[in-house]
Amino acid sequence: MWLLAAGAVTAAWLPRTGADPARRGERVFQRCFACHSVVAGEDGLPGPNLRGVIGRRAGTLPGFRFSPAMIEQGARGLVWTRATLDAYLADPAGFLPGTEMAMPGLSVADDRRDVIDYLQRSSQQSSPTPRRTP
Amino acid sequence: MDRFSERVAAAEAVVNRGKPDGVGWQGRRQVEYHERALRTARFSMEVAMRRPLLTFVLISFLLPPVFGARAASGEVATQAYALPAGGGPHDVAVGADGIVWYTAQRSGQLGRLDPASRKVDLISLGPGAAPHGVIIGPDGAPWVTEGGTNSIVRVDPRTREVHRWSLPEARGYVNLNTATFDKRGRVWFTGQNGVYGRLDPASGEMQVWDAPRGRGPYGITTTPGGDIYYASLAGSHIARVDPDTGAATTIEPPTRGQGARRVWSDSRGRIWVSEWNSGNVSRYDPQTKEWKAWKLPGDSPRAYAVYVDERDKVWLSEWSANAIVRFDPETETFEAFPSDRPGANVRQILGRAGEVWAPESGTDRLVVYRTK
Repeated sequence: MWLLAAGAVTAAWLPRTGADPARRGERVFQRCFACHSVVAGEDGLPGPNLRGVIGRRAGTLPGFRFSPAMIEQGARGLVWTRATLDAYLADPAGFLPGTEMAMPGLSVADDRRDVIDYLQRSSQQSSPTPRRTP
Repeated sequence: MDRFSERVAAAEAVVNRGKPDGVGWQGRRQVEYHERALRTARFSMEVAMRRPLLTFVLISFLLPPVFGARAASGEVATQAYALPAGGGPHDVAVGADGIVWYTAQRSGQLGRLDPASRKVDLISLGPGAAPHGVIIGPDGAPWVTEGGTNSIVRVDPRTREVHRWSLPEARGYVNLNTATFDKRGRVWFTGQNGVYGRLDPASGEMQVWDAPRGRGPYGITTTPGGDIYYASLAGSHIARVDPDTGAATTIEPPTRGQGARRVWSDSRGRIWVSEWNSGNVSRYDPQTKEWKAWKLPGDSPRAYAVYVDERDKVWLSEWSANAIVRFDPETETFEAFPSDRPGANVRQILGRAGEVWAPESGTDRLVVYRTK
C-alpha cells in the first residue's frame, strides 16, 4: 500500500457527530480515494487495491509494484491487521521508512478506526459502490 | 586536495555512512552508486600514478572537449538548507526577491527561507492544515493548495496574514494538489479525487469541474502562450484546459498506463511530463501533436517531479535512485545528481533563472542547484 492520498493530519472537515459509523469511514476514505480502491478489479491506480487488505502480507498483492521497503517488510513478516494498519496510518513514514505513500498520516484515532472499519466492511461486501462522496 | 582525491573522499564518506545495519533500500542504492563512483575514481588515480605520460596525453587531448561541453551546459553548484524537523517539505517556490517558500505538509505550515541568512520562519495555516503545493503569484505572494482544509490559501508575504478561499462544501473533499496562474491572474488548481478548478481572486468566484476521467489530476502548468495543462496520475493522461470555458480535452501519451504525474512547459510551449509508472520523461508538442519519450537512467526508474529551466533544460526527480536528474533535450543525455542523504524523496521542483530548488521531504531540507 502506498499513496493513501496526500491528506491532513486530521480529517477536521468531517462532521464527527451524528453521522453513522459506515458513513464516517467512507468519508475518511476520501483521503485515500485518489490512489486506492476497495472495488474488486479496480486496479491500475497509484496505490494497491485495498479490498481484503486486512490479513494480507505487506507488499504481496499480485500485479502491483510496491516499494522495495514495503516488500522488505512483508518478507520480514509484516501482515496488515487492525493494529498494524492503525500504526501505519498514524505515521506512515515513521512506521515504514521508505514507503512511497505520501499521506502524512491520520493523527486522530477515531478517523483511523473509522477508515479501518470501512476497509473491513467493504472487503466483506460483494460489490461496494465505487464513488467519490461529497 | 586534488580533484580525484576529493571525489574519493566524498565517495568513501557516503559508502562508509551507508555501511551500518539498518540502512534502507534507498540508502543501499545510493551506496551502490557511490561505490561505482569510488571504483572509477580509484582507477583514475591508479592510472595517473602508474602512467603519468599517458595521463598527460589524455588530459591534453580528451578532457578539453569534455569540460567545454560542461561549461556550455553550465556547472552546477549544490547547496542544502536544513529546515525545522518534522515538516516534511512537499513543494517549494522561489520568488523574484530570492525568498523561498515551502509547504511543511506534516506540520500544517508554510515555511519561508531566506537563503542569505538561512533563517526559516513558519506560518501556521490553521487546524487540520496539510498543504501540498505552493507557487508564487503575480502579486509576489505564496499561494497554497491546502489539501487538509480543502481550500486555496494566499499568505501575505509582508504581514503573513492568511487568506482562505474554501471549495464549495457540496464538492466534498477533493484532495487539492497543485496550482498555476493563467495570464489573467486567475488560479487554476487540481484535486486528485477527480476535479480541477479555477479561482478568480479579484472577484472571489470559484468554479470546480469534474475531470473527464475521474480521479487523478495532479501537476498543472501554464504555457508561455497561456494554455493550461494538467497531468492525471491515476488516469495516465494529460489534459488541456480551455481557460475561457474550462473544458478539458484529454491527450494520450504513447506509453500505456504511464502514470503522468507532473507537467511543465518549455519556452516553446511544449509540455514535458514526468511519468511515475513508466520511468519516462515525455514531451508533447501541441503544434505537431507529436510525442517523444525517454527512459530515465537506472534499472527501475520512477519519475516524480519535472521542471524546465530558463534554458529549456529539463529537471526531474528520480525516486528509485534518490537523485535529481537533468535532461538535455539537445543532446538527449541525462546527468544525475544523487542526494547525499538516503531517502530524500523529492516530490516537486521549481526555480528561477540560475536556481533550481528541490524540497527533500524525507530529510527536511531544501536543496538548490545553482547553474550560473
